[in-house]
Amino acid sequence: MTTETLDKQQTAEQKTVVLNGNEMAATAASQINYHVMGYFPITPSTAIPEEIDLKKAAGEHQIHMIAADGEHGAAGICFGAAAAGGRVINATASNGLLYSIEQLPVQSGTRLPMVLNIANRAVSGPLNIKCDHSDIVYALSAGWIILMGKDPQEVYDLNLMAVRIGEAEGVRLPVIVSFDGFVTSHQKRRSLIFNDVKTVQDFVGEFTPKITVVDPANPVTLGPYMNDDLINNRKQQSMAMDRAREVIPKIFDEYAKISGRQFSMVQAYRMEDAEAALFILNSSTSTAREAVDAMRKEGKKVGVVSASVIRPFPIKEIQEAFKNCKAICIADRQDTYGTGGGAMSMEIKAALKEDPDNKSLVLSRIYGLGGLEFYIEDAMEMLNDALDASTSGKVNVPFEYVGAYEGDESYVPEFAEPPLTVEDVTPNIITTERDPETGEIKVKGAITRELTRMPKRIAPGHGACPGCGIVPSINAVMRGLEGPVVVLFHTGCGMIIGSGYPFSAHRTTYIHNLFQNGAATMAGIVEMYKERQRRGEIPRDQDITFLMVTGDGGNDIGMGPTIGSALRNHNMIFIEYDNEGYMNTGHQLSFSTPLGHATSTSHIGPAQKGKSTQHKDTAQIMAACHIPYVFTGAECNHVDLTKKAAKAQLIAREEGFVYGKLLSACPLNWRSNESKGREIIQAAVDSCFFPLYEIEHGITKITYDPEAKGKRVPVLDWLKQMGKTKHMGKPDYEAELKSFEKEVERRWRRLKAMAENPLL
Amino acid sequence: METETKVLSKTNEFGTYEIRMESIGGQGANLAGKLLAEAGIMEIGLNGVNFASYGSEKKGTPVKSFIRFAESDKEIRLNSPVVEPHLLVIFTTVIAKNVPLLTGVKPGCMVIVNTTETPEAVRDMLKIPGGTTIYTVDAMGIAVQERVRINTTILGAVARAVDFMTRAALEETMRKTFTKKYPKLVEPNIKAFNRGYEEAVKYDVPDDGKYPVQHFQGFKPKLGWKNAPIGGAIVNPGNTVLNDLSASRSGFKPVWNEELCINCGACDSTCPDQCIIFRRDKDDKGKERQFFDHIDYKHCKGCLRCVEVCPKDALTAERE
Ligand SMILES: Cc1ncc(C[n+]2csc(CCOP(=O)(O)OP(=O)(O)O)c2C)c(N)n1
Ligand code: SF4
Ligand code: SF4
Ligand code: SF4
Repeated sequence: MTTETLDKQQTAEQKTVVLNGNEMAATAASQINYHVMGYFPITPSTAIPEEIDLKKAAGEHQIHMIAADGEHGAAGICFGAAAAGGRVINATASNGLLYSIEQLPVQSGTRLPMVLNIANRAVSGPLNIKCDHSDIVYALSAGWIILMGKDPQEVYDLNLMAVRIGEAEGVRLPVIVSFDGFVTSHQKRRSLIFNDVKTVQDFVGEFTPKITVVDPANPVTLGPYMNDDLINNRKQQSMAMDRAREVIPKIFDEYAKISGRQFSMVQAYRMEDAEAALFILNSSTSTAREAVDAMRKEGKKVGVVSASVIRPFPIKEIQEAFKNCKAICIADRQDTYGTGGGAMSMEIKAALKEDPDNKSLVLSRIYGLGGLEFYIEDAMEMLNDALDASTSGKVNVPFEYVGAYEGDESYVPEFAEPPLTVEDVTPNIITTERDPETGEIKVKGAITRELTRMPKRIAPGHGACPGCGIVPSINAVMRGLEGPVVVLFHTGCGMIIGSGYPFSAHRTTYIHNLFQNGAATMAGIVEMYKERQRRGEIPRDQDITFLMVTGDGGNDIGMGPTIGSALRNHNMIFIEYDNEGYMNTGHQLSFSTPLGHATSTSHIGPAQKGKSTQHKDTAQIMAACHIPYVFTGAECNHVDLTKKAAKAQLIAREEGFVYGKLLSACPLNWRSNESKGREIIQAAVDSCFFPLYEIEHGITKITYDPEAKGKRVPVLDWLKQMGKTKHMGKPDYEAELKSFEKEVERRWRRLKAMAENPLL
Repeated sequence: METETKVLSKTNEFGTYEIRMESIGGQGANLAGKLLAEAGIMEIGLNGVNFASYGSEKKGTPVKSFIRFAESDKEIRLNSPVVEPHLLVIFTTVIAKNVPLLTGVKPGCMVIVNTTETPEAVRDMLKIPGGTTIYTVDAMGIAVQERVRINTTILGAVARAVDFMTRAALEETMRKTFTKKYPKLVEPNIKAFNRGYEEAVKYDVPDDGKYPVQHFQGFKPKLGWKNAPIGGAIVNPGNTVLNDLSASRSGFKPVWNEELCINCGACDSTCPDQCIIFRRDKDDKGKERQFFDHIDYKHCKGCLRCVEVCPKDALTAERE
């Protein structure tokens, strides 16, 4: 965007705000008043649905928000919603984009416009939550239009224009608005927004779908299978991109009239006489311009080129920008591995090749991966390299990673404490025995005092919030597991707190996979282990317990592989700690969040009353897989939990899949007292919201019955201990409270009936 | 176009006035940064940006908040963290052992510290270079009395120290921010803010060269591309024990009374940070048993879960 301000007279009224990129995207969405948002939270884009939800609760718009089961599901929701003829928005990043990528060509191939915001973030693994462009490169050939915004103002502007561009006659393509995670998504800046929603509404206009799947008078088949004809469909798509190339500048001009902000496909900064230049995208553009100004003061003829549109790729504009430039350094915030440059480097080289007059030398640089800060000195270094090439006429270092550090080769990582031996973790405190006749398993020896002998497999010094319930809950499980354990953690707080490089809190072998796929990964580990034992590569008598840990969120997005592994009955223990939300990303609702609870995607407000659906009953879903053992547990009854874990170990070894669900405190997001985690969990158990039971070979047994013990409390006694649910006691929430109580009671009665009848 | 009347008396080569706040997650430095940026932009008419050091860190870990101001017509183009602040604000000195707080602080810089110590003592404790100006304020004391978080009190000291930042601008911004969501918090916060302004103690540090300027080091990890195990593997797991987490405590720690303890182990079962250390020993009858040995304060985060579960009051919460 050039900062050149157009005639103020013509522009619509705007007001100054101090907002970050996510808030600006949400503001745009709210003003556009999309019909539907299908989404799944992922840092650093999560604040977009959060902000939209907050505005929804306040009654500022009518966007129908649908929390998906994962990004693949979110993309599916968006596809369906777009096919049903309305305006649709989504937001994601990093592996969220990758997980939805299979749907991207579906959306573009069926020519259904929508807008997807991407807050650029590095893709896993190793997991990294910060900015780079390794996510957006995967979308380059998805057939979507891709707009790039360098600051919150551009995020807002591009979001408004994206609607028009995607819906334009002859284009009809979905549009991505891509901006830097954290740097732009989280940085608050002075910006302008339109005062009047009507200005926005007038600009975007009415949406008239070409075809919809909800018009019985005009039946249509959308998504046929195509053989040789596919090439023609694809040619149409390619033509739509060419059409977009014509349409986009016109929409930029039209927008400039109402906003005073003129966008262009490509921005050439101080390029008129530049001999050396840098090409760079998004937020780094501003830093690079500052570097150019500083170097110009020293008399160096340098410039910088950036782009607001990378699909369609602005070939002509790029050729024009570089036509007199002797050397260009192309800085990519991703690598295409093995090509000697990032994606922009490849594409710009190709574009320049088509200009027979262009003689520019090209240097390729990879920078800022995983959020490594981009300082002005880095920009100057790249510009100086280009300048050297321009004067010497040759490129000394064609390809390099800027900012990577070699390390200290004399340093060898050492154990801070000796690793746990098999003897250490086999104190023989607990014994499990199976009655040869009845098959019943007896667990002996779980006494709290003696249990302190079991070394902790998770070391102190991890990064959980004070009073977090995850570690004590997992400890209670691990205390029941004698012998070596291999753990797999899904993404989530449990994972993040214990493995921040170069530190790891895991004293046993640990592996992470993204939380839509842990159970499948563990299945692979278990079966390979067994196969290698069968082949004699690993001693047959070496016994390892395979423990996989997920949060409730991981068992939303990862439910498919969990059920798959259960149905295949692998020898593993699957533990889900349920803190009733996606805590690692800042407390969005999960399917396990109960009705009426306030989360960052189920706000309470005049127009909304917390989460609108009842909590998921995961233990019963898993029981329906008819695996050998299902249990629930809670640290308030930690001995019971440890015994169940010991039993689980025997069953996993001898029979197969075990599923256990634990209720785990999150003082930060429950907004509850750090010291009272156990008390709150106890109240949840005593209210019969979270009954403690087990299902062994289909037979249900309640292991702690608060009613029988005379300890049952009303659910409100539990809810009033947490900030996230205090409102449930207010008269305004009577209906929600009643409905929740009724559901808790129904599920409890049903469970009791199951416990009484071995056939249920 | 150049503005005729400049608001900022001091700026760096890029035309910006730079502020860095050092704090622990939960102390409200992010909100303080946001309020300050908004006051500068909306009330004083400056251009400004505000952002924080982001990561997956949970509550109780160090966080930085950054603010950059420029004259209204000047674009702010740098997005990188503030390495040479004009104003450094330290929410807690406890993190000094984990964070190089004084990075980039040069003569002419102002440093605001939340402390009960005198400015002279703070200077020696943190090794603040000469030629700077220190403001100390007992923000914790004021915050406890006024029942608010320390951030608004600290903003009072900021209004006092920073010439272009007015009391009225910050007060107005706080009113706007709190009235919407927490109307009850408005007055106590304004009161704490005013007390922070008035009670801050100023000290011009002599330019004596007593402590050197600590320069920004950049990213230079011991494990780099030449020697890090491939695939991101950590080959010495369990090394989080090297971390000192005592700064995560917010004022209280558990204290053990041996007399009352029955060695039941309940505290160990609830501690999220494995800080309750038991040992194997013989009881009166010569039988090997488990005994409470000590609390590991290096890793204790002061959640007081252990105090809550102890059946014999053998653990009590005590102010640090
Ligand atoms: C494919 C993908 N989508 C989204 C995310 C972002 N993400 C990481 S952890 C998390 C929530 C985890 O919730 P849960 O499993 O309940 O664990 P908790 O954080 O509550 O402990 C989310 C949404 C991701 N890492 N990958
Ligand atoms: S956010 Fe909640 S679940 Fe995550 S570490 Fe903090 S307390 Fe634990
Ligand atoms: S809970 Fe109390 S009595 Fe029990 S071991 Fe701990 S300090 Fe001793
Ligand atoms: S206060 Fe918390 S962290 Fe410290 S010993 Fe007690 S339970 Fe553990």
